[in-house]
Amino acid sequence: MVNLQINGKNVQAREGEMLLAVIKRLGINIPAQCQHEAIEPTGNCRLCMVEITREDWGGWKKCVTSCLYPVEEGLIVETHNDKLFEIRKTILDLQLARSPHSEYLQKMAEEYGLEKSSYPVEPDGDNCIMCYACTRICELLGKSAISPTQRGHNKIIAGPFGEAPPDCIGCLSCAHICPTDHIKWNDEGDIRTIWNKNFNLITCKKCGGKTITREFADYLIEKRSLPPAYFDLCDKCKRHETAIKMGSLVIKAREAAI
Amino acid sequence: MKIDTISKLDKWRKECHKKQLAIKTKVLVCLGPGCLAGGSDQIYEEFLKILEKKNIDNISVESIKKTGCHGFCARGPLVVIEPQGIFYSKVKKTDVAEIIEKTLLKGELIDKLLYKDPGTGTTYTEWRKIPFYERQQKIALRNVGQIDPDAIEDYIAVGGYAALAKVLKGMRPAEVIEQLTKSGLRGRGGAGFLTGRKWATCAKAESDIRYVLCNGDEGDPGAFMDRCIMEGDPHTVLEGMIICAFAVGSTEGYIYVREEYPLAVVNLQKAIDEARNYGLLGDDILGSGLCFDVKISKGGGAFVCGESSALMKSVAGEIGEPRAKYVRSVLKGLHDKPTVLNNVESFANIPVIIEKGADWFASIGTKKSTGTKAFSLAGKIRNTGLIEVPMGITLREIIYDIGGGVLDNREFKAVQTGGPSGGCLPAAKLDLQVDFDTLTENGSMMGSGGMVVMDDQNCMVDVARYFLNFLVEESCGKCVPCREGLYQLHNLCKKICDGEATDDDLRLMEDLSRTIVSASLCGLGQSGPNPFLSTIMYFRDEYMAHIRDKKCPGGVCKSLITYRINADCDGCMACLTVCTSDAITGEKKKRHVIDEIKCNRCGACYAVCNVNAIDII
Amino acid sequence: MIIDTQSIKKVIGKSVPDRGQLIMILQNIQQEFHYLPKESIKAVSEYLNIPQSTVYSAATFYKSFSLIPRGENIIKVCKGTACHVKGADLIIDQLDAALGIRPGQTTEDMKYTIEVVNCVGACAMAPVMIVNNKYFGEVKCNRAARIAKKG
Repeated sequence: MVNLQINGKNVQAREGEMLLAVIKRLGINIPAQCQHEAIEPTGNCRLCMVEITREDWGGWKKCVTSCLYPVEEGLIVETHNDKLFEIRKTILDLQLARSPHSEYLQKMAEEYGLEKSSYPVEPDGDNCIMCYACTRICELLGKSAISPTQRGHNKIIAGPFGEAPPDCIGCLSCAHICPTDHIKWNDEGDIRTIWNKNFNLITCKKCGGKTITREFADYLIEKRSLPPAYFDLCDKCKRHETAIKMGSLVIKAREAAI
Repeated sequence: MKIDTISKLDKWRKECHKKQLAIKTKVLVCLGPGCLAGGSDQIYEEFLKILEKKNIDNISVESIKKTGCHGFCARGPLVVIEPQGIFYSKVKKTDVAEIIEKTLLKGELIDKLLYKDPGTGTTYTEWRKIPFYERQQKIALRNVGQIDPDAIEDYIAVGGYAALAKVLKGMRPAEVIEQLTKSGLRGRGGAGFLTGRKWATCAKAESDIRYVLCNGDEGDPGAFMDRCIMEGDPHTVLEGMIICAFAVGSTEGYIYVREEYPLAVVNLQKAIDEARNYGLLGDDILGSGLCFDVKISKGGGAFVCGESSALMKSVAGEIGEPRAKYVRSVLKGLHDKPTVLNNVESFANIPVIIEKGADWFASIGTKKSTGTKAFSLAGKIRNTGLIEVPMGITLREIIYDIGGGVLDNREFKAVQTGGPSGGCLPAAKLDLQVDFDTLTENGSMMGSGGMVVMDDQNCMVDVARYFLNFLVEESCGKCVPCREGLYQLHNLCKKICDGEATDDDLRLMEDLSRTIVSASLCGLGQSGPNPFLSTIMYFRDEYMAHIRDKKCPGGVCKSLITYRINADCDGCMACLTVCTSDAITGEKKKRHVIDEIKCNRCGACYAVCNVNAIDII
Repeated sequence: MIIDTQSIKKVIGKSVPDRGQLIMILQNIQQEFHYLPKESIKAVSEYLNIPQSTVYSAATFYKSFSLIPRGENIIKVCKGTACHVKGADLIIDQLDAALGIRPGQTTEDMKYTIEVVNCVGACAMAPVMIVNNKYFGEVKCNRAARIAKKG
């Protein structure tokens, strides 16, 4: 166990834990846009910054991102102060200039007294905050269909050449993990569209409902060594069939016992 | 021939040295970047061409040596004749025949090619006496401009690989690290971290694999010291890396060279191949059991890849996005293994520190910044070139005594040091000592060694805008403060240059800079606002002139200046030919006129006018 | 412009299929074809067994690469600090007047492409122009167009 101080309070943490996990456990609320429990932290948004010092630093302090900073014995941490407030406010201010229509950002900015950006706004700005959650989850899945392309202010998350990513399987993980609803997708009839790519949705052989894309199904069948017909039924119908099978097995067993 | 024992190396050294002595006269033709741009490769070819046909006593094609940068780039192309040290400058291909006939055959000096100091009028026959050279002390650059980088025998003859032999013969890794620590050597790439401590940390880290990386990215615009070392003395970099590998326990090394330096890649590869051939790289080096090999990794055109974690990503074949360095790369670097990353110039110092000892090195320079530093002098300075001086020398001595002062006798305005992470220092700061700490305390930094001099015809707001634009283009784009912050900071700076800014904009820039400095993920962002912060500190009046008076004192910002032809115009038509907006009218021998509405203020007319007939108002 | 995939694969095959060779392989392709053909992204991805998006990311992150065909003659103008201070912008303006293109653009007849480089390390000879890998130093703005055309 590691002993440290957060906002004046003595705290214990496990070796190897990141500061953010400990801070959250204490119920302290600090913003962390690019952080998600499903993926490794990257420290892109900088909002989770805290100010740290040590007794032998003679008053010198340093700002670090709590999502990536491991706990240390004797660390003294401040999660809220004027400097950190200014940092968080400025970051949201900058983000609002680029994504003025994002309700997610507008809501966060309100907490910092920001109604609109202090900088010239990009009127057609999209809602991407470049948190990399989508690319990280896609990489974790083993597909890496989309990635950060270009560099600097022109950076954009996309598939190769901005076209339908050849490796995308239409699983929607990126859309679900995106904090700002930037990634749009559409299911219409048999077709799912995301990242300018069309996919065929599987129809349940029993109830006719749409489940997942053929590509996603094939990917899971291969990766998890599932039987090829595994996705012929939707989850609900599969459970129903299983229940019937289980039921008939119980009846047979009872009959056998009598 | 494999040099697989130290005694074989000693024997080879004696042979190489003897061969060198047998060449009575050496003609060194500088093929450094500056001279090359002036056509020195053709001068070299011409020497060989003539001597292949002609027979002269004591002079053959072996006497003609191509070398790396000799240093005095402003006077290039350079030809130096040893042992006399005859220094010929601004040499043309058509001068070669005369040099052979007069100087090599008859021992006569060619007056028009000798260097004449414009200040004192003194003509110098020997290069070592020229003030530009006299005040220098070369350690990292000791062989650059003196040897043929393609000939390992040249390197051996001047003592190459003797330091390695000394280490492998009778030193333990810990002793090597101790010597390095005692020497006080601090990283020459800009950060100034104690090299000995870095090596010690790496050596202690628990791992079966460790890497030695050489940072040859040299992204700072205005800096070319590392380029000259890689091109002019590649073996010294290798020797430094091998000694490091021995000290920390590594078998694999990489030299990361930026894409814009193709010649450095060629020369380094030749040196690596030669070293491998002779067994100085590879298995069982000099019979010591040490195994170490080096590969070159090329950059793809990204300044951010000079940052250590981005560099390592690039070597691993990924995009060069830095990571938060709460776990330092010396512990978790390339492929997450302990890695020593040192700059080219740092490695170039290693063999000398080992040979001459830590105490000798520590006796040079200042207490906290030992040794020497290579600098590239560029911009509005008379003596542009490559120099190496002891730490602690003042800016004034570098710019005036060595650098010859400001070009065209114009007024000194500022010297930019440390590249985009550094700052601009005004005339009032010329007596500052140049070392790691003093410049930082005064709002700039020494950085990798680029020094760009500016005069009264430069605008400091434009300089800040230029650097911010550079950083915006080079930002990797991963974190908000750098990607969005520097972008907005640059836009606001441009607004000032365009005469459209207000006091509030300036205040916003100062506030924004604070966040960018504190919150950015890597050094690029953290030092990104420096060009603005250092210029607003020392040149606030220029900013206010742009904001309040809508004037550009330096005569640079296009929206705030007007070009007008005065009565000195002799009607030569030169400006008409270069005008990019068809704004100049006039006939031969008659005063020309600029249409101030059509004029796009590109400045070409001003640049070509030989009679100062164009005023910038 | 369709480039024959076989010839791309030949260039790729010169390197070891090691992930660390990604930039080097892309550079070899660019040296051969003067740019990175679209087909090369897939070919490199297959050769190194890495996702296409990863190769594309690298091709767009590193500015030495071009995904659009470039001209026969590549003119690079250095915009390092020393060159900027000594009039690199003047050279760019003169080239615009002579060839009608700005940095990043190629003439319609595919003869010339202008690119800007951030310091080539020849600072003492600022301002510097490089035409097809040949260096020209201390370029006076009225010489720029002639140097670009003669090479």
